[in-house]
Amino acid sequence: MHETFEHTADLGLRIRAGDLEALFVEAAQCLFEAIVEDLSTVQPLRRVDIVLAKDEPDYLLFDWLKELLYHFDSEHLLFGRFEAHVTEQGLTGSAWGEVLDRSRHNLEHEVKAITYHGLKVEKTENEWLAEVIVDI
Amino acid sequence: MPKETYHGPLEQVDACCYRIPKSYKPGMRVDGLIFANEKLIDAVKKDQAAEQVANVAFLPGIQHASLAMPDIHWGYGFCIGGVCATDPDEGGVISPGGVGYDINCGVRLMRSNLYYRDVKPHIRDLVESLFRNIPTGVGKSGRYEFRGKEIHQLLADGSRYLLSRGLAEQRDIDYTEAHGKLDGADPDQVSDHAKNRGAEQCGTLGSGNHFLEVQIVDAIFDADAAAVMGLEKDMVCVMIHSGSRGLGYQVCDDALHMLRKAPEKYGIELPDRQLACAPINSPEGVKYIAAMRAAANFAWCNRQLLMQQAREVFADMFGRKWQEMQMNLVYDVCHNIAKFEEHAIGGKTKKVWVHRKGATRAFPPEHPEIPPLYRKIGQPVIIPGDMGRASWVLVGQPGSMEKTFGTTCHGAGRAMSRTAALKDAIGRRIDKELEARGVIARAQSRKGLAEEQPKAYKNVDDVVEVVHNAGLSRKVARMRPIGVIKG
Repeated sequence: MHETFEHTADLGLRIRAGDLEALFVEAAQCLFEAIVEDLSTVQPLRRVDIVLAKDEPDYLLFDWLKELLYHFDSEHLLFGRFEAHVTEQGLTGSAWGEVLDRSRHNLEHEVKAITYHGLKVEKTENEWLAEVIVDI
Repeated sequence: MPKETYHGPLEQVDACCYRIPKSYKPGMRVDGLIFANEKLIDAVKKDQAAEQVANVAFLPGIQHASLAMPDIHWGYGFCIGGVCATDPDEGGVISPGGVGYDINCGVRLMRSNLYYRDVKPHIRDLVESLFRNIPTGVGKSGRYEFRGKEIHQLLADGSRYLLSRGLAEQRDIDYTEAHGKLDGADPDQVSDHAKNRGAEQCGTLGSGNHFLEVQIVDAIFDADAAAVMGLEKDMVCVMIHSGSRGLGYQVCDDALHMLRKAPEKYGIELPDRQLACAPINSPEGVKYIAAMRAAANFAWCNRQLLMQQAREVFADMFGRKWQEMQMNLVYDVCHNIAKFEEHAIGGKTKKVWVHRKGATRAFPPEHPEIPPLYRKIGQPVIIPGDMGRASWVLVGQPGSMEKTFGTTCHGAGRAMSRTAALKDAIGRRIDKELEARGVIARAQSRKGLAEEQPKAYKNVDDVVEVVHNAGLSRKVARMRPIGVIKG
């Protein structure tokens, strides 16, 4: 489950999930929903793999989103489907998508960067909660 | 971290300034000072911006006060509209958050010898052509590409590199802050990730609050200064607001990653991770400064290429060379930067790192860094407002050196969050509303237009009133938009 929350100049993403891996997948979806109007218009034609070394969960989430954003900005790759596995070694994840096609993809926001401001990943009694503010 | 109101102290110093005393939080090294009047201070209390002013006061080596301009609003780490100066000789730090992701985001103003009556009949076609020919919006590549040796040279030499490529004139360089080049830029400190993001983005506008506007001079407040700048009532100008695009964002990102453990390493206590910093002369500090300067050079090239493309569109539309239409750069000034400057502090002259995060340099008359033509009137300051009301041209005043390390405001400042602006726009056509006000607007994203609607911003006239009355900068001309392109 994910939603956006108010931040004066930028945009807040709030994500809840049953486990850490689902949290990472939901967070990536939430990020790309902020970029493209309708995520279902993105076809899974190309796969990008992301491997991150072990770190605190908040930094791991930050780096996961940052890497996905890099692929969008440098190669114009939009992603609509994600997988993430968190192990003792860190994170291995994949994202499926395609190159931006303006005739089919309506874009919404240019996310300049993921920020550390108010960055939060925490485990509550029965779920994981993350908050990330992205720079618009 | 959802939106919360500020409940801390705000003591009125005078009609244009409020203080957060350093006793507010243990760890604050100096007071916070917010330049605002009674009308604007109420908006300041509505979010966490004032708290951020207090947080910046924690930075080692900070001088005088943690400052904020009247267009202050909640940012990440630093507030937008924040200014802080740090002294390397007193353990001062450099903080990428005090510059922002969009390194050298800034504004340039180009004049012409066209008047409203010349352009009015063609404005719709003109805006359409600007929108078609100038890349705007998310994920848009430009017609220029700089890789390998070319991007290296561009990052090292800034606008001067474009001069050597025939994409700039000497006059363009002369009227750009720092002549469009910061010395000490080191392209080798800019990651391949950053260079890849920037390779196809030089000469692209981007999204968010960035814009290119066709404006007319609506009112003149200082006839002498306006004459020196070549501005006359009803004259058509072009204002460009953009920055260092993906390259700058990545430079900031890389620096923040490098600095994750720096506060621990150097024993710096910070109330917000986004304020991550390192001593100016540390290996981390030196590396960031060299990369930040390179990104600043990229931003000047970006605005130069945007201006070149606008000149070509005008030339095509009016069937005359842009030189014949005297489409000359008035000035280009940045509002997200850290620069090593000399200032008088506590009776001594010191060289300090002035961080301007959403704040504009505003040097007074006779300052040596001002182009000779403007030395008598003060440095031109370009203040973009919202797309329905106005933008401003100001000049720096002596008060800026006394109070704000030679700095003034940078824009209107947001009054509504993006989400609130979107809700507010449900069922409305922002482009039609603007048209009714005499502004033709084209944008890639409908949501973008809604989020950037005039109502989402404070009235820039109120902000300018404060910096004018506080003696930070003086009103020269008010500009009115007639055509807008956005991402």
